[in-house]
Amino acid sequence: MAEPKLVLALPKGRVMDDSLRAFGRAGLRLAPPESERAMRYDAGDAMVTLMRNADVPTYVELGVADAGVVGKDVLLETGARVYEPADLGFAACRLSLVRPRGATGTVERVATKYPRLATEYLRRIGSSAEVVKLTGNVELACLTGLADAVVDVVQTGETLRANGLEEVDVILRSSARFVVNRAALKLRGDVLRPLIAALRDLPGAR
Amino acid sequence: MGAPPDGTRFVLPDAAARRVQVVTSLRDLFHGWGYDLVEVPSLERYDPSHPRAGQSFKLSDRDSGVLALRSDFTPALAQLVRLAHPAVAGGAARAIRYQYAGSVWHAIDPELARTREFTQVGIELVGVSSARADAELIHLARESVRTVGLVPRVEVGNPGFVRSAFASAGIPLPLHAACADAIDRKDRSDLADLLTPLQIEREAQRAVLAIPDLYGGIETLDLARRAVPWPAAHRELDRVAGVLREFEDDSDLMVDLSMARRLSYYTGITFRAYTLDFGQPLLGGGRYDGSLLPAAAGFSIGLERLMRALTRRSATVEPPPRVLSLDDPGARALRDAGVRVVRALSTELAAARLEASERGIPYLLVAGALEAVAERGDDLGALEAILEARGEGPRG
Repeated sequence: MAEPKLVLALPKGRVMDDSLRAFGRAGLRLAPPESERAMRYDAGDAMVTLMRNADVPTYVELGVADAGVVGKDVLLETGARVYEPADLGFAACRLSLVRPRGATGTVERVATKYPRLATEYLRRIGSSAEVVKLTGNVELACLTGLADAVVDVVQTGETLRANGLEEVDVILRSSARFVVNRAALKLRGDVLRPLIAALRDLPGAR
Repeated sequence: MGAPPDGTRFVLPDAAARRVQVVTSLRDLFHGWGYDLVEVPSLERYDPSHPRAGQSFKLSDRDSGVLALRSDFTPALAQLVRLAHPAVAGGAARAIRYQYAGSVWHAIDPELARTREFTQVGIELVGVSSARADAELIHLARESVRTVGLVPRVEVGNPGFVRSAFASAGIPLPLHAACADAIDRKDRSDLADLLTPLQIEREAQRAVLAIPDLYGGIETLDLARRAVPWPAAHRELDRVAGVLREFEDDSDLMVDLSMARRLSYYTGITFRAYTLDFGQPLLGGGRYDGSLLPAAAGFSIGLERLMRALTRRSATVEPPPRVLSLDDPGARALRDAGVRVVRALSTELAAARLEASERGIPYLLVAGALEAVAERGDDLGALEAILEARGEGPRG
């Protein structure tokens, strides 16, 4: 009986392009999707499912996908119980506390796409600020006065500077991780272990 | 009203029948190996030192005491043993084999396929501690998966190995939890970040960094012996090797020496069972000598997860009963022979025929004779023989 193909969960967008390239260098030949709308396709050496990055941990934890690629920030936010055997190095960013430039008063309300990590951070530094969950463009919350600070991903800091905001504290550093379903690593180790070893050996990865 | 509370659910006939069938086959398996069925209360006195105290549903008692819904069978069975077998609970070497099945409740966020009320079926082997006893449990874990029709893969670990390696490597105690967590996630990069700032030898660092990858077939034990130099850690490997030596056929056994973060009461070897093409473990267990009892080990199967693994393969539907009856004595004879017979709601023949065809019941039993309502099945002869055998077969 032929083993079924590996199922990979990838976030749409740049991380998908970087992931396909990384898998290719690691010896897994994967074709890009034929259309923008593709959700699930046979990519050659594996089946690829495409989704929002926050959904990748769910698909992998429940074993609908055997493995996937997702940022460490998202992984920590969802708290998914998956294996994280390789740090792919790309999509590097910081999760930071951001405030309007020069702001000094106490933080009362924080807007974020990462309510769990933001709450953990605020409790750790002894702040009792309330956390408001938003789904996009949280900097706007700061500019409009909805919140007096935001917890969000910062890559270069350009967007912040252009909008009169500044990075006050770095909460964690994130990069793309290769994540694997806990049962799949044991049951499909023949395919996954060589792949993990090859991914760890790529430049910038570990 | 309407929907039941979050994380609980109703079970409809097809699913309920399949669940009973699976539980029965597991009970029979355990019974055949000498495990006696016991029951423990669903209500317990709330105890903040209970391993799952943080997840327990609490209730207030009449006298202002606090009760908790059962959240785990193992501590409850340990309590039963302490009451019913004080000598064994005091350390006497005498094997007690118990099995159980029932609901447990966890007060958690019912997210990601986790329900708050679920069913556990399991066994405990109390009063003995040996590789032979561990092997009996691992064998039964494997047979449990087989007996319900799935292909098992059982994985054995020993959290003592990681603990011992940390101690020998000189990792400071406050960092053990974070390092164990990184190893449990097989996250070598995170582990490296934790180890790098420490003042420990390169050799020791390299050995600890190898641990996340120490999983696979039983050859993993030899790899571990080469990767990790410390005699204390080797003794923990010997414990796993001793259990595996008990098996003639170890082809579906696996080893994971980086199983590091488990329930607090396990002190010896631990194990899990998987089945092919299903992304979550079906059962988990281990040895907990010296924590809840002087010598004890066991495992429990999550019934809901097992059912999900089964229905992914074949969605069998409970067939309708074979006979609708207007004849109570005849119905009794058929039921005695194991045939499912439903009593007709009406004594009128036309109404009974309609009832049978609506429910998909193939035969109508009237005055000792069977009438095929839809197409005649190939078991008509067998059913008639049952009716004839009681000495008053169909007349005319």
